[in-house]
Amino acid sequence: MASRALAYCMRSFARSTARLNHGNAFTRYACAPLVSKQRALGVTPCSQRTRWTELVRISGPSVHLCRHYGDLPPLTLGNIEERVMYVLKLYDKISPEKLQTSSHFMKDLGLDSLDQVEIIMAMEDEFGFEIPDAEAEKLMTPAEIVQYIADKKDVYE
Amino acid sequence: MAVSRLPPAALSLKQFLQRQKVLGVYRDLLRSIRRIPTESDRRYLRDWAREEFKRNKTETDQDVIRMMLTQAHNHLEDLRRSLVLAGC
Repeated sequence: MASRALAYCMRSFARSTARLNHGNAFTRYACAPLVSKQRALGVTPCSQRTRWTELVRISGPSVHLCRHYGDLPPLTLGNIEERVMYVLKLYDKISPEKLQTSSHFMKDLGLDSLDQVEIIMAMEDEFGFEIPDAEAEKLMTPAEIVQYIADKKDVYE
Repeated sequence: MAVSRLPPAALSLKQFLQRQKVLGVYRDLLRSIRRIPTESDRRYLRDWAREEFKRNKTETDQDVIRMMLTQAHNHLEDLRRSLVLAGC
């Protein structure tokens, strides 16, 4: 909701600046950092936008996205893998020394299908979304789990 | 002279389907147990479910498995109804 209010303010501000002469690019540059955080406000034509991004790059590291507005921190492949391995290490039937990303639950770690169901449920709890049965029973190594979650959450690297 | 290329431990179709049903009811049970409010009750029921399923894991008679599957479904329905009555 805060982002919507901010977008509304941005739009009304942009409308008022557009009414001023187009030559006054300074005010536009001033609101460039804020606009870069919002998505698709589309106030000015492309040529202006490239000049903004150059200027934004010059002002350097102060412009990166640091506000998540109540959202979780963004997922990366490394982050997902860490969390998957952490959950697996907490599972009582797995010895942490033998655990690797390529270890097969049934062949290497000696678990059975009931344990695999429990592990997938633990992953569902950790990442907060449901994994349907048909796809859950195919996930047999931590690497496959990481790959599946990355596919579902659109994490590319 | 047809030699079966399947490994000796392969399940027949009916056994395979039954296995999928068992895993499905285990998963549904765990999902319903997740909705229980108290952590200690949750842990107790999770251990109970795990115990029950592990104890009968080695059963091979299809009729016995079918009976146990019906029992599991009954438990699941009881749990769901209790959850609805308790308002969570």
